[in-house]
Amino acid sequence: MNDTNNSDSTTVLADDAPVNLEAEFEASNVKEVLDKLDRELIGLKPVKTRIREIAALLLVDRLRKQFALTSETPTLHMNFTGNPGTGKTTVALRMAEILHRLGYVREGHLVSVTRDDLVGQYIGHTAPKTKEVIKKAMGGVLFIDEAYYLYKPENERDYGAESIEILLQVMENNRDDLVVILAGYKDRMDKFFHSNPGMRSRIAHHIDFPDYSADELLHIAKLMLATQNYRFSPDAEKAFFEYITLRMKLAHFANARSVRNALDRARLRQANRLFANASKALSKTDLMTIEAEDILASRVFIEGKLDSEPESGQ
Amino acid sequence: MGIAPGLLVGTVRFFQLLEITMASETMKEGKERYKSGVIPYKKMGYWEPDYKIKETDVLAMFRMTPQAGVDPEECAAAVAGESSTATWTVVWTDRLTACEMYRAKAYRVDLVPNTGPGTKTEAQYFAYIAYDIDLFEGNSIANLTASIIGNVFGMKAVKALRLEDMRIPVAYLKTFQGPATGVVVERERMDKFGRPLLGATTKPKLGLSGRNYGRVVYEALKGGLDFMKDDENINSQSFMHWRDRFLYCMDAVNKASAATGEVKGHYMNVTAGTVEEMIERAEFAKSLGSIIIMIDLVIGYSAIQSMAIWARKNDMILHLHRAGNSTYSRQKNHGMSFRVICKWMRMAGVDHIHAGTVVGKLEGDPLMIRGYYDTLLDTHTPVQLEKGIFFEQDWASLNKCMPVASGGIHAGQMHQLLTYLGDDVVLQFGGGTIGHPDGIQAGAIANRTALEVMIMARNEGRDIWNEGPQILADAAKWCGPLKAGLETWKDVSFNYESTDSPDFVPTTTASV
Amino acid sequence: MMTNQGNRVTQGQFSFLPDLTDAQITAQIKYALGRGWALSVEYTDDPHPRNTYWEMFGNPMFDLKDPAGILMEVNNCRKTYPNHYIRVIAFSAVRGVESVTMSYIVNRPKKEPGFGLVRQEIGGRMIRYSIHSYATDKPEGERY
Repeated sequence: MNDTNNSDSTTVLADDAPVNLEAEFEASNVKEVLDKLDRELIGLKPVKTRIREIAALLLVDRLRKQFALTSETPTLHMNFTGNPGTGKTTVALRMAEILHRLGYVREGHLVSVTRDDLVGQYIGHTAPKTKEVIKKAMGGVLFIDEAYYLYKPENERDYGAESIEILLQVMENNRDDLVVILAGYKDRMDKFFHSNPGMRSRIAHHIDFPDYSADELLHIAKLMLATQNYRFSPDAEKAFFEYITLRMKLAHFANARSVRNALDRARLRQANRLFANASKALSKTDLMTIEAEDILASRVFIEGKLDSEPESGQ
Repeated sequence: MGIAPGLLVGTVRFFQLLEITMASETMKEGKERYKSGVIPYKKMGYWEPDYKIKETDVLAMFRMTPQAGVDPEECAAAVAGESSTATWTVVWTDRLTACEMYRAKAYRVDLVPNTGPGTKTEAQYFAYIAYDIDLFEGNSIANLTASIIGNVFGMKAVKALRLEDMRIPVAYLKTFQGPATGVVVERERMDKFGRPLLGATTKPKLGLSGRNYGRVVYEALKGGLDFMKDDENINSQSFMHWRDRFLYCMDAVNKASAATGEVKGHYMNVTAGTVEEMIERAEFAKSLGSIIIMIDLVIGYSAIQSMAIWARKNDMILHLHRAGNSTYSRQKNHGMSFRVICKWMRMAGVDHIHAGTVVGKLEGDPLMIRGYYDTLLDTHTPVQLEKGIFFEQDWASLNKCMPVASGGIHAGQMHQLLTYLGDDVVLQFGGGTIGHPDGIQAGAIANRTALEVMIMARNEGRDIWNEGPQILADAAKWCGPLKAGLETWKDVSFNYESTDSPDFVPTTTASV
Repeated sequence: MMTNQGNRVTQGQFSFLPDLTDAQITAQIKYALGRGWALSVEYTDDPHPRNTYWEMFGNPMFDLKDPAGILMEVNNCRKTYPNHYIRVIAFSAVRGVESVTMSYIVNRPKKEPGFGLVRQEIGGRMIRYSIHSYATDKPEGERY
């Protein structure tokens, strides 16, 4: 057997054997993942710092293992709180990669689920469903989004409790096999843990994801456009900043996700605009550029409503 | 097909003709072409270098050694002609037919690497010939072979001729039943997965009484083999008539099955003088509960097809012993490659065929043998010159045919056998079971243990090619029969150079 | 008692070897997962050679990345049926196979009584054979 997480625990180093933390860090290639995280995610300073701290902790833990100072696999289950679109899933993906490179999970894949994937509708339905998900996640990370929906205190016979029970068991007994990351709004997660102290006690790391500032969101928007070979005209950039400022105050604001949706709609309007002037020959620049009018046509400006809300009068 | 009359005269005339014209111009259709007399095959429309191969064409590739002074293209055209419509002279009755279509077309001739001037071997050529599908009757190996190898091998224009490979079009394949049972269903019926099957041929070949014969079968099956087998020449002789053999062997099979909890079988050789007699023996085997019967290649293609159809109807696995094949498949310059036999037999519908061991006592270059195995097992075979496979072959949905490795192999070679032959094969350890110093059961235990330990190691990712002997030695520490077996056969190997090796590797690969 | 090698039913790929450890089972599962095969855990108290359909301990497991989930089911099954035969089966969905590709026993009853051979003598020297599993003299679930 050559599982990565067994290989370094087989021989115990002598008490005076020197170890090199930096070399260990280099060898693990974790830096690569951290750099990737830096590139991929704008802002999120506190989150990135926490991830670095956790990586350092695990690295040191690995060295301690070589001297037989620790033998147990540390508890690695985590809780990511924050509003939608703040990068929780992306960070979970990178976390899985980091844990894999450090040898704390064997495969490093991420299985992302919600209540519907875990909880059944009939008696005897939930356990196989939850187990199936757990088996798929083994060797990697199980990411449960909006985990508080598992617990519905208003319904005594809700099957969510059964799912939680099974998860708790696995989180305790199969720490070598998988890491669970719960995620959701901060206040609701707090309430969830309050009613499920067993769950709380098994979570080692809590990470809070702050909302993005308008500046950060504009930066994100520009990055998103660049990857699709689009760009804002200077006016459009100004308009989009304005858009964000307005949009943040409206309901259902979901940070980066709302930005992505707004850009999708802007691209649609751009295409329509180009089509309306079809007689004119188009340049490459025309095809790449989002103009201010593509943004300003949004109902956020005109009616102070979301583009997805029903038309007035309907 | 009416080729035969006048063939000898035809070939004599053919030589006279070669002296007259060696030019390669093609003749115009019509009056000139069908003027009475004798014209070169090449001019008769059997050489068509620009021919566009149709999806439905049967393709054949021959290795030709032309007589001295014979132009290779003319020689190829002659092979095409004689294996399709031609006779030695021009016949006006051709003009009553769509003869263009019925003519086989030689479309490519290549000099065989390492032959001809400057080498030790006289010049040989690969001739590629296309046949329209309408030349052949569906579901008849006999008809297919009557054309392809019917007359042409005796033609004087060629000093030697060998059929190397064929491409059978899907449309024609679909007219054949294919293996009665196939590898997948055989495994399902046997409940044996993820490893080669194990068998052995009862020895001595001749002379055992039915009672004594069954003893060997019981011991080997109880020891751990999946199959026992009659030899090719065990039919119904004075020392043991067939009914006796069947009755005793089935008692042995059932007793061994009860002793181990496994499905077991004995290939009952039903080979006999007539098909009717073979069917009678097969029916008896079935009535005794046998899951497998056996025939020999020498019974002939049509008899084989009949037995395959019977086998499909009666849930019987059909084992074929390739008795006689080496008379025409072994020499590299004349006859036919065994891979063509494999193709025909898969079409004819047998479930097992002896296809070589690489490491044993019988002929076999590793790559050539892999080519035979691929031919029997692939659903689609790409061109692989190094394995002697010259044509891409889509096997339509014909079942897979299980190759059988038999002859001079033993437990000590398990890592080599597994590496060369893979999982889908029956490994037959005849002498390697019955010749064990501690008895037949011990021999079977040694083989089965060696196999299981090697499969496990391979699946665990170990390098069995290099670690094989160590893996076996480790298992021998707790398995006495394996230890004794390895001791007995440790020095047995058959290192002779192969007579039939690929033309497209830099050096000849020796059997190991 | 069975009198063959190991005094045991020798179905499956590894019945001539010492009982598999969890690490060995895991390595074999890993081999199967590496080939994209689905795995299943099955159990029975009737090991008749032609008893094809052992009970399924849950559905076959598809799309798993890591052997731990399957080993967990093996151990759950052992806990539930400590005295049954339990096997791990692999399935390939590749065209031309579409069948079982591995099968090995990972749990057995403490005592394996084996099988009797029942011979029914009929016309001529013909015999009809039945293989009888001694364990099935008792009802299902009460056999070992």
